[in-house]
Amino acid sequence: MTMRKKHIGWMVVAFFVAIIAVVFQQIYTSMTEQGIASGGPYDNAAAYPAAVAILIGILVLLQAGLGLLRALPPSDEENEAISLARLKRPAGLLLIFGIYLALLGPLGYHLTTAPMIFAVMVLCGMRIALVTIAVSVVIAFVLAFAFEVFLKVVLPGGIFALNIPW
Amino acid sequence: MLVDSILAGYALFMTPAAIGLTLLGVLFGLVVGALPGLGPLMGIILLLPVAIGLPPVAAMGFLIAIFVGGSCGGSISAILLRIPGTPLAAATLFDGYPMAQKGRASDAIGIAISASALGGLFGGGVLILLAPALAQFASNFAPPEYAALAVTGLIAIAVISEGSLLKGLIAGCFGLLLATIGTDEFSTGYRFTFDTHHMLNGFHIVAVVVGLFAISEMAHQTMGNDLLKKPKIDIARPGFGSVLLTLKHWKNLLRSSTIGAFFGALPGAGGVISSFTSYAVAKAAAGPDEKYGEGEEGGVVATESANNATVGGTLVPSLALGIPGDASSAMLIGALLILGYFPGPTLFEQQPEIVGGIFLVYLTSNVFLLIAGILATPLFVYVLRVPKSYLIPIVLLLCTIGTFALQASVFDLLVMFGFGLVGILLRAASYPLSPIVIGIILGPLLENNLRRSLLISQDGYWIFVERPVSLILIIVNLLLIAGSIWFAVRKKSKAADKVPVSD
Repeated sequence: MTMRKKHIGWMVVAFFVAIIAVVFQQIYTSMTEQGIASGGPYDNAAAYPAAVAILIGILVLLQAGLGLLRALPPSDEENEAISLARLKRPAGLLLIFGIYLALLGPLGYHLTTAPMIFAVMVLCGMRIALVTIAVSVVIAFVLAFAFEVFLKVVLPGGIFALNIPW
Repeated sequence: MLVDSILAGYALFMTPAAIGLTLLGVLFGLVVGALPGLGPLMGIILLLPVAIGLPPVAAMGFLIAIFVGGSCGGSISAILLRIPGTPLAAATLFDGYPMAQKGRASDAIGIAISASALGGLFGGGVLILLAPALAQFASNFAPPEYAALAVTGLIAIAVISEGSLLKGLIAGCFGLLLATIGTDEFSTGYRFTFDTHHMLNGFHIVAVVVGLFAISEMAHQTMGNDLLKKPKIDIARPGFGSVLLTLKHWKNLLRSSTIGAFFGALPGAGGVISSFTSYAVAKAAAGPDEKYGEGEEGGVVATESANNATVGGTLVPSLALGIPGDASSAMLIGALLILGYFPGPTLFEQQPEIVGGIFLVYLTSNVFLLIAGILATPLFVYVLRVPKSYLIPIVLLLCTIGTFALQASVFDLLVMFGFGLVGILLRAASYPLSPIVIGIILGPLLENNLRRSLLISQDGYWIFVERPVSLILIIVNLLLIAGSIWFAVRKKSKAADKVPVSD
C-alpha cells in the first residue's frame, strides 16, 4: 500500500482548517464570556488571533487551490508515492515513545527509561542480546547521573518514588 | 560605550563556568554538526533546557559555542563521508571530499576548521562594530517600526525557507498564532487556555521546538536503511600548519567572510546561501590553475569561512533588534528571553555587560574552535562511527529529560510529543519548520507593538504609512513578496519550457 504526497498535503490543509475552527470557537465562547472579544486595541484580545487565523485561512485556501490546479495532471513531486511499509518504523518509534511518556509519570524514570531505549534499539534493527540490554541500562543511568548530579534535575520517581541518592 | 560594554562583560565572562561551558559548547557543537541529521539547531535545542539554569553569560556562551561548533562540524562528515553533517557544509564536499580522496583528509579538515574559526572571528568583528550602531539607530524606533520590522523578519524567513512561499507564510502565521496562547498582556484575559492552568503562560517554547525539530527528525531518521551502519573511516589528524595553508588564501578568506557576514545579517538568508554564494564567487575569481571541484583548498576556505562568518552576522539583527536571522538565532533569542533579557536597543542601554559578555563568548568560541577542533578531530571521527541505532534513543532521552527539566512538568512532555506529530506531518508535506519558531519569537513583538501603535494612533492603521521607517519596511515587505512570486512563476515557466515533447 502506498500514500501519495498530495494526500499528506490535504491532511495538512485539514489540520489548519481545524486550527482555524478552534480559534473562532474560542473567540465566540471563552473570550466573549470574558469580555475580551470586543472593544479597542487595549481590551480586544481576540482581534489579533482572529486576523492571523483569517490570514492562515486565505493562505491555506490559496495552497489548496494550487493543489487542485496541480492535480490535473499531477506533478511528479505531488504524485510521489510513499510506501506505508516504510512508515512502520517511524510509527513504531512514536508508539514506543508515546507509551514511555505516558508511563514516565506513574512509574518513574528508572523503571521506564532502559526498556524504552532497548525497545528503540531493537526497532532500529539491533539484536535482542545482552549487549543491547547492557547498553540501554548504561545510557539510562549515565544520563540520569549527569542530569541529577551536575544539573540538579529531579527526575520523575513515579508512584514508587524511585530516586537514586547519588 | 563599546569598550565599557566589553569591559563589563569581561567580568561576567572570566568565570570558570563561562569559559568551561564555551569550550564544552564548541566540542558538543562539532559533534552534533558532524553527525548527519543533527546540526547546530538541534544541538542548541537539545541543550537549551540545560543552559537556562545557568548564569546568563555562561548560558549564552554555551549555546553560541554550540552554534559556532555546529556550523563547522558538518564539514568533517562532508570531507570524510561525502555526507554533509548539516546543509551548511553541503558546498564543502565539492572540494573537501576530493581532497580526502587524494589522501589529504587531514589537510582538508584542518583547513575547514581554520577557515571556520577565522571567518567566525571576522563575523565577530562585524558583530561588535555593527550591532551597537544598529541598536543605537533602532533606539529611536516606536511601536509602528517594531511591528513593521517583525513582519519583515517573518516574511524574509518565509520567502527564503525551503519549499514554497505560501507554505513558509502559513508556517510563520502558525507560529504567530501559537504565540497568542496564554494570558493576554493587555487585557489579562485568557486565550486558548481551555480552562487549564498548564496553558496560562502558553506552551513552553522549548517543548514546542524540541517536538517540532528533534522528535520529527528522529522519526525521519528511522526510515533510513543505515541504522546499524558503522562507516569505515580512517582517523584524520590535522595540525596547526593548516592555519598557514588557510592564510595562503587570505583574499578568498576575507571575501568569503564578508559575504558570510553580509548574508548572516539579512534575516532569512543564512549559512547555506552564503556558503554556496562564496563558493561560486571564489570559483569565478579563481585562476586558470585552480581546479575547483577537484580538491582545491580554496573551495573549502570559501565555504567554511562564509558559513561561520554568517553566525556573527546573524547575531547582529538578533541582538540589536530582537529579529532572528534564522531558527538557530531564534532559539538564542528565546534563551535570552527565558533568562529575563530582552534583545534590542534596551539590552544595549540597560544591560551592556550582557552584550559585552556575548561578544566575548562569541570571539572566544571561535578561538576554542580553532584549538579544540584541530586537537579533537580524531574524537569526532570516532563519533561518526557510532551507528544511528544508538544515537536515536539517546537523542530521544535528551529531549525527554531536557523538556521535563524546564518546569518539572509532564504536561511539557505531552506538548513536546504533540508537536513532534505536527512536525512529522508538516515535514512530510514539505512545510518549512523554521518559520514556526520565528513566528513564536516574533509573535509577542508583533502583536504588542501593533496594539500599542493603534493605541497611540490618531488615524488607525495609517500610522504605519505616516512614519518613514515603517513605510520603508512595508514597501520592503511588499517587494519581498512580489519578488518571491515573480521568481516562483519564472521558475515554473522555465521548468515548463524544459519539458521534452513526447513522440
